[in-house]
Amino acid sequence: MSDLSVARTLAGCALVAVALSAAVDAQRAAEYEVKAAYLVNFAKFVVWPAATRPRGDVFAICVVGADPFGRALDDVVRGTQVDGRVVVVRRLASAGVDDDCWILFVSGSEERRVGDVLRAVSGADVLTVSDMPQFVGRGGMIQLVTRDGRVRFEINLAPAEDVGLRVRSELLRVALAVRPARGPRP
Amino acid sequence: MRMEPRPVSISQRLTRMNMLVSGASLLLAGVAFAANDVMSFRDTIVKTLAVQAEMVASNSITAVVFDDAQAATDTLKGLAAAPNVVSATVYAAGAQPFARYERDAGTTGLPPLAIPEGQMEASAFAPDAVRLARRIVFEGRPVGMDAIQSDLSALYARLRRHLLLTAAIMLVAMIVAWLVSRLVRRQMTQSLQQVAALTRRVSESNDYSLRAHAGRAATEELTTLVDAFNDMLSRIQERDRELLASHGNLEERVATRTAELNAINNELESFSYSVSHDLRAPLRHVTGFATLLERHAGSALDAQGRRYLRTITDAAQRMGTLIDDLLAFSRMGRTALSKRPVDLGRLVEEAQAEVTDRINGRPVDWNVGPLPIVQGDPALLRPALVNLLSNAIKYSSTREVSRVEIGVSSSTDDEVVVFVRDNGVGFDMAYASKLFGVFQRLHRTDEFAGTGIGLANVRRIVQRHGGRTWAEAKVDAGATFYFSLPSTGGFRDGANDEDGSQSHPTG
Repeated sequence: MSDLSVARTLAGCALVAVALSAAVDAQRAAEYEVKAAYLVNFAKFVVWPAATRPRGDVFAICVVGADPFGRALDDVVRGTQVDGRVVVVRRLASAGVDDDCWILFVSGSEERRVGDVLRAVSGADVLTVSDMPQFVGRGGMIQLVTRDGRVRFEINLAPAEDVGLRVRSELLRVALAVRPARGPRP
Repeated sequence: MRMEPRPVSISQRLTRMNMLVSGASLLLAGVAFAANDVMSFRDTIVKTLAVQAEMVASNSITAVVFDDAQAATDTLKGLAAAPNVVSATVYAAGAQPFARYERDAGTTGLPPLAIPEGQMEASAFAPDAVRLARRIVFEGRPVGMDAIQSDLSALYARLRRHLLLTAAIMLVAMIVAWLVSRLVRRQMTQSLQQVAALTRRVSESNDYSLRAHAGRAATEELTTLVDAFNDMLSRIQERDRELLASHGNLEERVATRTAELNAINNELESFSYSVSHDLRAPLRHVTGFATLLERHAGSALDAQGRRYLRTITDAAQRMGTLIDDLLAFSRMGRTALSKRPVDLGRLVEEAQAEVTDRINGRPVDWNVGPLPIVQGDPALLRPALVNLLSNAIKYSSTREVSRVEIGVSSSTDDEVVVFVRDNGVGFDMAYASKLFGVFQRLHRTDEFAGTGIGLANVRRIVQRHGGRTWAEAKVDAGATFYFSLPSTGGFRDGANDEDGSQSHPTG
């Protein structure tokens, strides 16, 4: 818990710094380039359940709320595929199961509405990712954390397994922290 | 001081050869096996290293992709199970190490290998290390690289073990080879040594009844050798016996024959002597009464009668000379030789004087070289020289001046060769072999008077002195007669000053 509070403090400090300095802006852009790459790479280490609902031909990474990536995410997904599906970026005002999102990135701007966002996709096999504090504590699956200038992440296995997502052990190994599943898997 | 090398016995040589061959083959085999094993072990090291690098690479993918150095370090720690791995490093995109493992803290290690474009890994051997690098690939894209460095202590330990093992095997094999060859050589050389010792005994004692015995353990060749040796001994023994027997026979036979021959020869010589001697008495009567008849009735006879009478006298005289010569020849074979140093120069002078007396002042151009002192009987050598000189003058009597040359043609330690050369009528070399026979004449009696005994006598005299006679000539171009005598190696003192090359025509 103290880790998280420290992280929050740091995040707060970072925000202040962003507001104050253009140099910090550049640093922030670089950080989001890394996060964009992580979003794509997560897709390679998560196994979606086979055909629980009809899917389109694309593998959409959806961003809910104010887009912090800018062009970085579009640059990363360009030309990449997951399981034969072309990866595309969707920017949404609000999330819903009707969308063919595979990964849902919840922007920090949605911090107050995160419960609604997660509820909107609950039961659907969508990998929820965010860099807002306490994201995994509030039912999110992967929370990006910046630690010592490096982007790390925590994984919350329970919500992922609830919707049939299987996170591969390699990813768990490099996670900063893993919240365990509720019990033995069926 | 140089020592004569002692001859090496067969057994020693066999042992040496045995040890050398077994040692060399073992060494070669050992080295070959070691080399082969080390080479394949090198491959094994590289393969093991490649497996380890691949494991590190696949286990480091997420660490590299999600920038988790700790996870990569944890992965590398797994290499602690491989004691040969000195260090391992994971590189993310750049050349800066992302995570590192060191077996012994503080190891710097070698710089990472560059992996050629389009290949997954690269490896390189250094004298004490082998390095291998492998790409970390994620989704078909290289995202980093891991490099492992291993020491070669296992390789060297293996090599050492091989060499030690080879050396130990060689030592044991040498000892076994030495023991075996000692055993074999004792069995083998026993027979050989026996044969050798027997040979020595046979050659020392001339006892050919001795026999060699092949030992119980003799090889086929040795048995053959011993049999052959015994066979040879039997044959020599047989030969020896025959030789001894025939030797006795031979001596007996030679003695008998010699006695017979001597008896016959004596008989023959006494016969010819008595015949010659007895022929002289009636001949004296013929000559004497022919002379008396001439004196008594010479005036009563006509010219033809006197010529008949003279022919009788001449023929009787010639026969007398012939008988005298025959008697001399016969005597020559019987009288004992009394050898002493004879000055050949002095003898030639005496012969010259004797011959000059008989030729009635015919001019002779003498040319006498220095002559040696020889070992001989002057009583025999003088008539031989007289004969040769008178022959020279006789057969050159058709020339205006007789030229006679006497000298030494060659002189060795053993013999001295004297020649008598004339400028006479010579003879055909085809008859040279008949020259020295009794009654062998190359010219008719009415051409040159003579009995045909002279040269036979010369040869007999020279042969009794242990020398040889021969002649060289050309028809109408003079003749040269040679005789050799055993040399004494001396010349008369001052021979050159007194008689040397002096030329004084007589008459």
